[in-house]
Amino acid sequence: MQDPRIRILAACLLSAAAFISLIGAVAAVAWWLLFTPRLRCIRHRMAVFAAWALFCVVSLVIYLSGGDGISYLVRMTAILLIGTWLYADSVQGDFPVLGTWLLGPKTGFELGMTAGMAMQSADGLGDDFARVRLASAQKQVPWGIRSAISVGRVLVCDALVRADEMAELLAVRGYRRGGTCCPRFRTPVWDIAAGVCAGAVILVAVIPVSEFFILYR
Amino acid sequence: MEVPIVRLVLENSVMSRPDWSLAADGTFTPGIHLVSGDVGSGKSTLALLMAGLAAPRRGAVIREGIGPAMLSFQFPEFHVTGLSVADECRSWGLEPGPVLVSAGLDLSMDRPALSLSRGELKRLHLACLLSREYDLLLLDEPFSSLDCPGKEWAAREIGKRSRGITVVFTHEQCIFPHTDHIWEIQEGALVDCGGMPGALHAWEHAPALIRRLVMDGTVPDDLTQDAIMEAACRTRE
Repeated sequence: MQDPRIRILAACLLSAAAFISLIGAVAAVAWWLLFTPRLRCIRHRMAVFAAWALFCVVSLVIYLSGGDGISYLVRMTAILLIGTWLYADSVQGDFPVLGTWLLGPKTGFELGMTAGMAMQSADGLGDDFARVRLASAQKQVPWGIRSAISVGRVLVCDALVRADEMAELLAVRGYRRGGTCCPRFRTPVWDIAAGVCAGAVILVAVIPVSEFFILYR
Repeated sequence: MEVPIVRLVLENSVMSRPDWSLAADGTFTPGIHLVSGDVGSGKSTLALLMAGLAAPRRGAVIREGIGPAMLSFQFPEFHVTGLSVADECRSWGLEPGPVLVSAGLDLSMDRPALSLSRGELKRLHLACLLSREYDLLLLDEPFSSLDCPGKEWAAREIGKRSRGITVVFTHEQCIFPHTDHIWEIQEGALVDCGGMPGALHAWEHAPALIRRLVMDGTVPDDLTQDAIMEAACRTRE
């Protein structure tokens, strides 16, 4: 999808639909199957699988404690798929452009730039994680909860240090507030169709299914 | 008594990505090897390959008689597993006191390791690493994040290693440890420049001062500052 406005709006609508109801989640997965490159768009497959495994564990706990674990799993899976598609489809510079278009050159640009930097940081996390694991393995630290906490600490501290360095760099370069950005978007028909269908998905999630089938009533 | 052979052989090894490739062929024997190359030339990838942490697309990496091995990453925080400075030293099986003395750091033992500046952390990391014995020690950019005194200290400490294979991957141009052998990455291939001091004639990435000394016929015996100073002050006939 080329238009970041439609991409992000669609992701928000689909995530909300999946969160609201099981029907919405199924419709969101159907949308994902129709409008995205499906499994080919998943980056960092191991991380996605780990997140999904975590959802499976939580849903099992919900199921065993008498709740609707299956509904939870389907809804969270839909949100995960939409999130991975949004992440994979984003290109550098999307967020400042979108932010400026939405909220103007001050607040919008700043929010967009912050989101862009967060995405950039997320991109590097996978590589950093691999390096930290290799370093731990060389020290013969067994992989477990304790070492996972240690790895998490390193990654979080590293992200904070980089954010701090980036803030210093911006200050040194004289950045004070806002910025200039001339948003231009390409909106192919396919993007519009995908956006309209995402709108239909949220309707399906919000309006009871029986409302669509008069004969059924 | 038969002395075991310790060597690492890169046998027509090729690593590649869609827009980049590196071919490496050569034998690393005990001593200190310097691998130089531009940023992005593939030094870190070669280090991963030699450490056995990445596989070549073609060819082989043969390790003979190599026991304990260690790859030090450019960013020292990747190696941190201890909460405090003392924990971090102990995670390497070392007593914190002597390590801090050898690193020349005056730090509280209880200070969180990740609160150190990158330069301090690098010194701590190198001090821990160089206090241990390895048959194969691969140092990826050991001088990065260090100030001049820090680089001089690191070069001295690395130069003290007397056993095993030590490989220093760096684009540093001023301060070097005692070096036995020079390699460099040129146009996607690892080139063996040879042993010191003859290697200096073939070393394309040589710093300007060393190139000038070689041109003038006053070839330093080593890459240490003392050796370069001696060559620069040498009286030409």
